[in-house]
Amino acid sequence: MKKLHFLEVEGNSKGFYAFFALFGLISLIGMLAAYYMEHNGHWVTGMNNQIVWGTPHVFAIFLIVAASGALNVASISSVFAKTAYKPLARLSGMLAMALLSGGLVVLLLDLGRPDRLIVAMTKFNFVSIFTWNILLYTGFMGIVGVYLWTMMDRPYNNLTKKAGMAAFIWRLILTTGTGSIFGFLIAREAYDSALLAPMFIIMSFSFGLAFFLLVLMGSYKYTQRDLGDYIVNRLKNLLGVFVAAVFYFVVVYHLTNLYSADHRDITLFILTGGGLYTFLFWVVQIALGSLLPLVLLYGPTGKNRTMIGLACALIILGGFAQLYVIIIGGQAYPMHLFPGMEVTSSFYDGVVASYTPSLPEFLLGMGGVGITLLLVTVAVAAMKFLPASLADEVANPHSK
Amino acid sequence: MTINIDNKNNDETTTDSASKEMESSRRNFIFGSVAAAGLTVAPGIMLYQTANARSLSDFSLKEGASSKVRWGMLVDTTKEVDWNKCVDACNKEHGLGNETNSRDEQKTQYIRVVEVKNKGTGYSMSLPVMCQHCESAPCVDVCPTGASMKRADGIVLVDRHRCIGCRYCMMACPYKARSFVHEVLTDQTENTPRGKGCVESCNMCVNRIDNGQEPACVEASDGAIIFGDLNDSESSISKILAKHGGKQIRADLKLNPGVFYQGI
Amino acid sequence: MWLHLNFNFSFNSSFVRKSLQRLPLFVVGLALFASFNTVSASQNGLGPEITIPESSGESCVLPSEQMRREHPDILKHDRIQTLREGLRAKADGSTLDGSLKQCVNCHAVKDESNKFVRIDNDQHFCVSCHKYAAVSIDCFQCHRDIPEGSGDFHALTNHKNINYSNVVPGTYNLTIKDMANIAPEVNSDDN
Ligand code: SF4
Ligand code: SF4
Repeated sequence: MKKLHFLEVEGNSKGFYAFFALFGLISLIGMLAAYYMEHNGHWVTGMNNQIVWGTPHVFAIFLIVAASGALNVASISSVFAKTAYKPLARLSGMLAMALLSGGLVVLLLDLGRPDRLIVAMTKFNFVSIFTWNILLYTGFMGIVGVYLWTMMDRPYNNLTKKAGMAAFIWRLILTTGTGSIFGFLIAREAYDSALLAPMFIIMSFSFGLAFFLLVLMGSYKYTQRDLGDYIVNRLKNLLGVFVAAVFYFVVVYHLTNLYSADHRDITLFILTGGGLYTFLFWVVQIALGSLLPLVLLYGPTGKNRTMIGLACALIILGGFAQLYVIIIGGQAYPMHLFPGMEVTSSFYDGVVASYTPSLPEFLLGMGGVGITLLLVTVAVAAMKFLPASLADEVANPHSK
Repeated sequence: MTINIDNKNNDETTTDSASKEMESSRRNFIFGSVAAAGLTVAPGIMLYQTANARSLSDFSLKEGASSKVRWGMLVDTTKEVDWNKCVDACNKEHGLGNETNSRDEQKTQYIRVVEVKNKGTGYSMSLPVMCQHCESAPCVDVCPTGASMKRADGIVLVDRHRCIGCRYCMMACPYKARSFVHEVLTDQTENTPRGKGCVESCNMCVNRIDNGQEPACVEASDGAIIFGDLNDSESSISKILAKHGGKQIRADLKLNPGVFYQGI
Repeated sequence: MWLHLNFNFSFNSSFVRKSLQRLPLFVVGLALFASFNTVSASQNGLGPEITIPESSGESCVLPSEQMRREHPDILKHDRIQTLREGLRAKADGSTLDGSLKQCVNCHAVKDESNKFVRIDNDQHFCVSCHKYAAVSIDCFQCHRDIPEGSGDFHALTNHKNINYSNVVPGTYNLTIKDMANIAPEVNSDDN
């Protein structure tokens, strides 16, 4: 095995500026959209008193969940001592931080009063799972930051394992926390399931790794560095396992809900009668986001880089659909004020709430993705995150 | 309070006690009687005089919201009442309905009339639903900043000074009692400040209760809604509840709301 | 918020600690003092002009100098008491309202056409200074900015019972203990 050698991406290059400009523009548009929403108030969005969390939350939660998953590769390398993943550990940690930043920016900018961030950071109600999430996110940034440092600063290399362990535990708690934001809502039948938190963890594995693989292949392609099959195959096989695991969880989740009388209505709503939500579930989440990627990854196309990239993109798309169904579909289905009775009112009791995403919301969400990618672009150019080569003779610990 | 007149001040203690006194005066602003009225002859130098010798108890405030009390309401749905009168009274009291841009599903409603129909029997009824002022209020538990709060006397309300507009409380409320202000508001009533980006809900007309009045919807209900102290077994609401009973909506959630209904 | 940080270092001298705690307050005070000096300087033709509107009563709840410096803290303190603690009455049982509406009622400014000016007008009492000092406030995003109805003034109801005629000038030295007794520790809110 040749010596591993990390190198910054050339910052003074056309490619760098092109990506910088592209992601910068997306971020900028997102910020302008947020300003527009905040300046006018949320009436310019599709959100209302029934669907209180909309498209921005789908993006934000996707990015936060993926952040935790992006750390997977680093965890496997440091915690489970798999040397094959070691060259990727730095990128994995950095991407986790970038994804979390992007997600948090979206979450923050969608607040009714983002100017009061200081209140959120100083007044804590420790009964609230939201408060714990704020602390978990801040802690994640700190711990992964230290972890990266121990990886990149030679004298501290011996601490990497410990820091990696801390980061690994922290991210599991973090995703549990994110899942629990929904799990604690007793009144909403869609979320009232013990399976939600573990499902979020496995979702994070899948979305995070898909994002990671896409960034990895993209950056190596555009910097013309070697990326050998050895590492890509390992990652895509792992990704396939995660996708299958998410699929399994989704099946169990809906089956158990179908068997519980309390949850049958909402489950049938999502699975059969929910219009857009039903479409998103079956077509986008299941067919395009789970089954097709499995075929692409494990089938005859499994070695084709374009097809692997396509599979990653589909998994991400499916992830968005899944969160859309969970977050928005779960709110659209009416709560039962009087179970078993037919209920109507001026406040939309008893009817499926309507929600049409508006452009600014979508742009704000995209802005979060833009910020993530912008941070990655700058980071790989500024510091030694990427190995100069990941050709098989470098990456494969067993090659001579 | 003893005031120690000491002419041998050293500078430090003078400044220190002067600033202390400033602080105390400001703490007594409005609520405390200003026994030691402060006058300033020049910035930082205060002259003091006690009006009369007063004991410390004069400075203590009359109790605020007390946990000895639990305010509640009892709605008799069997009475022939136009519940919309309650809705109108509420809207008027709190200055609701002044949105100009919001769509209908974005507008604030503190109280709404809900029609309930039993599909099997065809029996139907209507009842007013507002914030149920839950004892274990999910909206209070989930709020990250403590903006959604329960007063000692059981009234649940939003402290808009702290609300960051995350809407988690709206997600958590089983009664859909909360609304989010989707646009810039002007011309609020002076008793109910409300504005863009904060969540709000029925506050049981806390301003009226503290002023010794009944909530607006109670007043408008022609006796179909009774307001009172659930902790006081001698209050009329407790007596009626003890005698005729009353049900809470979704009592199965065990949130112990402070709003009871008869005939549901 | 940062004005009320509790320093947990253990200093030997409580005076040092106290002064340190006050330091930010002092700095802000100094800045404000300086800014008001600028105000008077401007009347000599230096810098921009500022007109501080008259209020409708004889005196505010505290002397003007003190109000200028401390009204943010006073307001924060009161909003906690009224809103969160439900304190709306004095010891003698008479009702009092610690809400901003009392301030607005006294300090509302009328324009030439005898109508109250709203918060978007530079003559509004709060705006006149805050604009000058470039300190933005969000109180009136929620609170009503002018008195309700037709100028129904409850001028200075809060302290009309104070008998100012008894005030004898002099400097009194209160012991720390006296002060602690009359000034119970209240946690001020931030924001
Ligand atoms: S009804 Fe809703 S808003 Fe009111 S106290 Fe209960 S949970 Fe909170
Ligand atoms: S919207 Fe406001 S009151 Fe509701 S949970 Fe968030 S901060 Fe608390």
